[in-house]
This record gives sequence, C-alpha cells and structure tokens, in this order.
Amino acid sequence: MFKLPRKTLINSAIVLAALLLVTNFLSCFKTPALKLTQPHLSLIEILKRETFGLLHYHRNMLMVEKLQTEVKLLRLRLFDLREFSLENSRLKKLLSFKQKASLRFVPGRVIGRSVDSWSSSLIIDKGKYQGIKSGMVVICPEGLVGSIIETNMDTSKVLLINDPNQGVSGIVQRSRQEGLVSGTLGTNLIMRYLPDEADIVPGDVIVTSELSQIYPKGLLVGRVVNVGREFSGLNRYAMVKPTANLANIEEVLVIIP
Amino acid sequence: MKRLFFFLAIVALASLSLIWPPGLNFFHCKPDLLLIFMVALVFYTDFRDALIFGVLAGLFKDIFLPWNLAINTICFSIWSYLIYRLSHQITIEEDYVRVAIVLVVALLNNLVIGLESVAIGNAISVGIFLRNLIIVSVYTAALSPLIFKLTKKISA
Repeated sequence: MFKLPRKTLINSAIVLAALLLVTNFLSCFKTPALKLTQPHLSLIEILKRETFGLLHYHRNMLMVEKLQTEVKLLRLRLFDLREFSLENSRLKKLLSFKQKASLRFVPGRVIGRSVDSWSSSLIIDKGKYQGIKSGMVVICPEGLVGSIIETNMDTSKVLLINDPNQGVSGIVQRSRQEGLVSGTLGTNLIMRYLPDEADIVPGDVIVTSELSQIYPKGLLVGRVVNVGREFSGLNRYAMVKPTANLANIEEVLVIIP
Repeated sequence: MKRLFFFLAIVALASLSLIWPPGLNFFHCKPDLLLIFMVALVFYTDFRDALIFGVLAGLFKDIFLPWNLAINTICFSIWSYLIYRLSHQITIEEDYVRVAIVLVVALLNNLVIGLESVAIGNAISVGIFLRNLIIVSVYTAALSPLIFKLTKKISA
C-alpha cells in the first residue's frame, strides 16, 4: 500500500532531520510562544472573571457578608495567636532552638492548564520579573499544589502534584511514617514505599517531610483514602486525596525561600 | 493571507486548549484540538502547507507541555504524511471517514505518548492509561467536525 519512491524517502529524511533539530532546540521556541499567548490568555481570564462576577452578583454579595463576619472573628483569633507566637519565640530563644524562617509568598493567577491529558500542569501569570525561579514550591490555602518547572519573563509553568513526574517526600502526621507521594494523573495521589508494618490508616493526614530538598516541612498534601499492598507483596501503598482542588484551582501562592 | 489565518488558528486552538473549561472535560479528559486541525489541514490544503502547519501545531502543543521532548512535533509530521499517502489510496470525501481517520490518528498519538510516558518510568495505572487512550480519542473525534468547518472556511 505504501510503496515509497526514492525521492520521497530523501525528502522524508530531510524533514525528519529538520524535526530532530527542532526537538533539540525546543526550549528556544518556548519564550516567544508564551509571549505570543500570554496577553490574550490574561485578557480571557479577566473577561471570564468579570462575566462570572456579574452573573453571580447576588451569591457574591451574600458570600461577602458571610466572609466579612468570618474575617472579624479570625482577626480576633489572629490577635490571640500572635500573642502565643511571641511567647513561643521567646521560649524558643530561651531554649536556644533554631528559629524557623517565616515564608514569603508571591500570589499568582492561573492563566492556562495542561494542553493534554498525559500531564498535569498550570501556567501562572508570574515569572522572572516577580522573582520566580525553577524549583520554587507552589501552594494554595488548602495545601500543596506543585513546583515551578519553567519560568519566563511574565509566566511560569507549574508541575502539579498529580503529575506522574512529580514526587514529594511525605510523612503521616499521626505516626510519622514516611513515604514517597507521586501523581497518578487521576484524582488521587499514591504514597509508595511504605513498609509492611507501616502505621497508616484511611483518614490519616499526609504532610511534606523534612527529607524533601525542595518542599518546606509540614505542608499539607492530602488525606489517606485507601491503603493497599503492592503487587510485589513487599511494600504497601496508600491512595491520598489531595486537599487542594487541583482540577479547578484559580489562584496560587509561590513560596519564595 | 491564508497562511496567516492558519497560523492564527493554531494560536487560537492552542489558547483554547490551555483555557479549556474544566466543566467541559469528559471523565477528566479534554479533546486534542491541535491534532484535529493537523488532520483537517491534510484534507483541505495542499500537502506542503499541511505538513508545515501540522509541524507548527505539534510544536505549539509541545511548548505548553511540561516535558522537553518534542514528541508531538515528530508525531504530527508523521501522521500528516501517512494521512496524505492514505488519501491517495482511499476516498476521504465522506464526513464519517474523516472522523474515523481522526479517531485512529488520536488513538495512535495517545498510544505513542502514553507508552513514552510509561517508558520513562511514570507509574500510570491501566485504568488511567485506557481512559486517556480511549476517551480522549473519542472526544477528539467527536469534536472534529467543528474544526473541519473552521479549516474549510480558512482554506476556501
């Protein structure tokens, strides 16, 4: 059916060679392409936000009232907690404990998501100009979101924790059992390399461990929904539901170390 | 002028893929709009333009993916060439044949990307692999008549 003449073969070889060249220099095309799409992606995002704002005006009004009450209550609690924090730091100083540096954040808005279903990533509207660098950790108020893998002038690419290429050293908050949390492309994450006698049950909270080189210790990752035995029978695994709603996330915070 | 519109269509479709509303996802899957456009180009333009813009569509897709491998750029050019060869062997005037070709190409493209992902050591369960293989391909094929109309209008 596909009988190839000599000329076609030569042409195909030339095209393939050109493609391999393009593959090698893929990163060179990334900045201009992102520059080309960033303005209208931001514009679409603003238009979408404004439209939804108008459509949900009444719901938003009620929500604002509710949130204002909540803010007042939280301010009171914050005042109490500030007192505790000051007391804590005074006592730590007395005990000569190493002080943990407070985290700085850069807020970012999601302007794009992964173009296919084989990866899980986001594009945010903050980049090198705002001090974002590769490897920085991205969170949202609900928990861990992922890490920065690529930065441009005004945009950055975030690899989400549910991408299979992503791995986070996690720890069970209750029993301090450690494991590696990685993505599955599904709604849950998988915590692997748990020993047979691991103390882990559904409902346990998973946070980042101090073994992680990238992630600060104690960031909320998710909650265990199911525990099973690996095919080899040597280890156990746990399915973890991330606390952050990764499918609908709109705003994120980038941790500046 | 036509070429400029093809380029703009690629930018628009790439942007649409990036901002695809989660509400329109089907079992967490989104259609591959750039792949449909690449196939449609072979049907409605000459082979040279189809190949050039097919590669460009693949390149745009790879740029927005988190890895540094231009697998879509390579695959799209191969699919363009194979569809072009196939169009000389069979009649592709009927709409359902074109949709079927999109389905087959989407299945092959997802199979290649899925196997490549597994080959580099990613733990993807069989269920999710099949979901991404079948549902994405069917969803892509189902949306293809819309992109065909767009491509036909631009090339006319």
